[in-house]
Amino acid sequence: MSMITHKTGRPAVLLQGNEAIARGALEAGVAFCAGYPGNPSSEIIETLAHAARDLPVYVEWSTNEKVALEAATAASFAGCRAIACMKQNGVNVASDFLTNLTLSGTKGGLVLVTCDDPGGISSTNEEDARWFARMAEIPLLEPATPREALLMTRRAFELSEEIKNVVMVRSVSRLSHTRASTRTGDLPGFDAAPRFDPRVPFHTFPVVPKHRERRKKLDTAVALSESFSLNRYAGPDRPELLVISSGCAWNYAQEAVEILELEQRVGILKLGTTWPLPADLIERYLLSCDRVLFAEDVDAFVEDGVKALAADMGERIGLKRFYGKASGHLPFCGELSPAHLLEALARILDLPAPDDAYRKEISEKVADAVPQREFGFCPGCPHRGTYFAIKTALAWDGRDGFVSGDIGCYTMGIWPTGFNQVKSVHAMGSGLGLACGYGKLTKFGFDQPVVTVCGDSTFFHAALPALVNARFNSADILLLVLDNSATAMTGFQPHPGTGFTASGDKTAPVDIEGLCRSLGVPVTVADPYRMAETARTLYGLMQESGPRVLVLRRKCALVQGREGGFPFRMRVAEDRCLGEACGCGRYCTRIFRCPGLVWDEASGKARIDEVICVGCGICADICPQDAIVREETGAGGAGPGNAVPTGEKEK
Amino acid sequence: MAVSGGQALLNERVLASGLCVGCGACVGICPYYHYFDGKVMIMDPCRVESGRCFQVCPRAECEETDPGRGEETEYSGEIGPYRRVLMARAVDPDIRDRAQYGGAVSALLIHALEAGDIDCAVLTDAGGALAPDGKIVRRKEEVLACAGSRYSASGGLSALNRAVSSDETRIGVVGLPCQMEALARLGKTDPDGAERLAAVSVRIGLFCTWALDYRKLNRFLRDRLPGKTLKKYDIPPPPAEVFRVLMDDGWVDFPLSEIRPLVQKGCGLCCDMTAHRADISVGTVEGIESWNTVIVRTDAGAALVDSAIAKGRLETEELPEENLRHLKKAAANKRERGERASGDAGRSS
Repeated sequence: MSMITHKTGRPAVLLQGNEAIARGALEAGVAFCAGYPGNPSSEIIETLAHAARDLPVYVEWSTNEKVALEAATAASFAGCRAIACMKQNGVNVASDFLTNLTLSGTKGGLVLVTCDDPGGISSTNEEDARWFARMAEIPLLEPATPREALLMTRRAFELSEEIKNVVMVRSVSRLSHTRASTRTGDLPGFDAAPRFDPRVPFHTFPVVPKHRERRKKLDTAVALSESFSLNRYAGPDRPELLVISSGCAWNYAQEAVEILELEQRVGILKLGTTWPLPADLIERYLLSCDRVLFAEDVDAFVEDGVKALAADMGERIGLKRFYGKASGHLPFCGELSPAHLLEALARILDLPAPDDAYRKEISEKVADAVPQREFGFCPGCPHRGTYFAIKTALAWDGRDGFVSGDIGCYTMGIWPTGFNQVKSVHAMGSGLGLACGYGKLTKFGFDQPVVTVCGDSTFFHAALPALVNARFNSADILLLVLDNSATAMTGFQPHPGTGFTASGDKTAPVDIEGLCRSLGVPVTVADPYRMAETARTLYGLMQESGPRVLVLRRKCALVQGREGGFPFRMRVAEDRCLGEACGCGRYCTRIFRCPGLVWDEASGKARIDEVICVGCGICADICPQDAIVREETGAGGAGPGNAVPTGEKEK
Repeated sequence: MAVSGGQALLNERVLASGLCVGCGACVGICPYYHYFDGKVMIMDPCRVESGRCFQVCPRAECEETDPGRGEETEYSGEIGPYRRVLMARAVDPDIRDRAQYGGAVSALLIHALEAGDIDCAVLTDAGGALAPDGKIVRRKEEVLACAGSRYSASGGLSALNRAVSSDETRIGVVGLPCQMEALARLGKTDPDGAERLAAVSVRIGLFCTWALDYRKLNRFLRDRLPGKTLKKYDIPPPPAEVFRVLMDDGWVDFPLSEIRPLVQKGCGLCCDMTAHRADISVGTVEGIESWNTVIVRTDAGAALVDSAIAKGRLETEELPEENLRHLKKAAANKRERGERASGDAGRSS
């Protein structure tokens, strides 16, 4: 039984921000949920998919965010409530549809949730997706707590139906992954009866009148936001400083004001509706105070908006002094924290700098306790073998070849764990798009081999159009599909190749090789665990021209671990290990760097960390001395997809 | 302690400066070097300060102040130290058919293997999709499959390192002068060079004027003869001045002047045409195609040649005086060219 499918509301349920969003959608009677996994958004669809076992709700992982929003929109057009969930980068993918959809308008409540990742903790950027609300001229709600996330999501469906357009809800990592005691409401009766009314078409023509209509909807949204209960003020009637905050930054502002005991001097206006801004409400508070500090995550979105309003209101409200990112009191880049707010408040109010002796003392004390860690592939990860083979083949080739990377665990190929082979990473599918370009530079004498990698899920998400492009334009590309049968980085969500859906139903898996072959692209399949053989295959493919695909197939080590594990117990034969000496130079721990291999300072030999090592066995193939020994345990096994490495040696 | 240096110095002096001749001596003793498709390359950075890779390299020449190294390379006369110079060929017509010229090398090896003088031999295979590579062989058929001239570096000594690492002993090695030089240096490497060299019973050196960069040759042939596969090549003795390649549809000749730019840069510094460091050196005989010139240099070499003659595997004749003179002249020319080039490159040999 899911935490969020209880029929009658409860006074206190411990909910993660993303679960609260899911519960809010269910309390709004959502019928259709779609998304593409990506941290920090993934748990929303996962929670809903789980709930769909008990409730008549449809939930899917779509191939990408644009398709997710489109699929959800169909439900809206047919009169049902629908939600599409994604991370900030995903909104970029969906944006082409979004900016058109908002001209045609919607019918059933349609909510687009973006979970932004300030600081880029698990993203390639720290983009602020709120601008899309402004660009598409749709209302934007920003919850600050799980409770607000629930309420605002629920409210977003109503608002969407009131203005007949998409409503965007923005969370950030700290909210999505925070747990808090949350009051829930009742679940409605789920009574979706989808029907598309052919008399009411949805399109963007004629464009200008449709645009006017969209502006009018935005005006309605402004009016509704003026009385929105989650826009709240707390503080004195005439504060010395007004903090205008949104989302998680509100929590930081609260905490800073409390720590500095400024409750009688500083007021905090928390905005839940950050686009369009409630101008009248803002004017009232600007009249109360001449100094304003903005607290919000990533861009100066509210800051810019309020400054623009203040210019319009100038005659009535007079000159204001604004503090925030533009003034340099808060950083433009990186995630905000209570410390940033403490510092800004102290600076503005001319207070002594916050005493951080204690913080320093603590961080020094724990520094030794926290081991230095770099990004690394898991023990047994097939990507380690893949990048080792790529490194080998590129060195053999000797023409300064490189890897055009993509989004997934294998992005870590930019670091030593992937032997620093990946030289560019941007958006989903971009590795292959770039490769298409390199693959035509050959006309100008470009002869560096380019290997592009993409995971199985990324292949379906955005690499396919680039592959068709490569075929169409006969680009010299070598695409490596790193098929580990999972969307591993975001938590093992199913994708078109896995053979089951978000709700766990079986479906026919899409055959990657068949797909490539149908495009007329020759496909080879190799095993990342057989590194030397794979390197030879790669070298051969690098010498050819035209579009080529090599599928490197081996299950994600975590999946394999759950499905019976690995066949070996590894050990180092100490008498054979050369250690630092000529002939080895700590090759396994210095170059290969699987976390299961550790350097024993005392003995001057390598050894296996039995807690970490999973027993995949591939390190035995890189030891120049055959000192790393595989012992068969009979576990896991040699079943299909888990064939035992052959023990072939690099020459 | 003769010489000292690690990967960084070897790279600076040899690999990065394009002087590597692909002998393969540094390959197979550690994971940091590979020989693949005609080239030796560094795979990963090694931080061992003094390594066998540097000590064994026939091109990692040292500064004059570096004691010990210079005296190792001795040139006693144009064709090096020797007991006698003969003309020889295989008695077995099967060997003569399949080998280039007289088949003396194949005959000597097959005899040594069959007589039990050696357990295995390190040769250079014919290549195929990839460049020729070192190969460990044990039987007549395998020897014959490797017969024929290559005219390109082969990384062959990597196969010797593999064999030694697999505890093989009594190994016969066939190689170019640079590879014989590397073997001489191998004996002085720390910590196990003497032990590794002791596994080699007999060294057969091949005459060599220069070797081609296989990848450059491949590109050249792909451009000139697209879609065809190279099967065999040959450089007929002067005055032909041609490079002949057997493609799948017959022989094609290229003027040597077109081929010379494909010669490995490191070969230009080489002063040794007849493999002075071998036990036996073998090459062609100018104007007499079905025989080989054989230079017997050491006791081990003499023992093998004598035993092959005694068992009726090898037949010999006196090398005509004229031919010996020509051979010495050619060897002196190569030495002169090499010394001049070394001087130009600011090196001393």
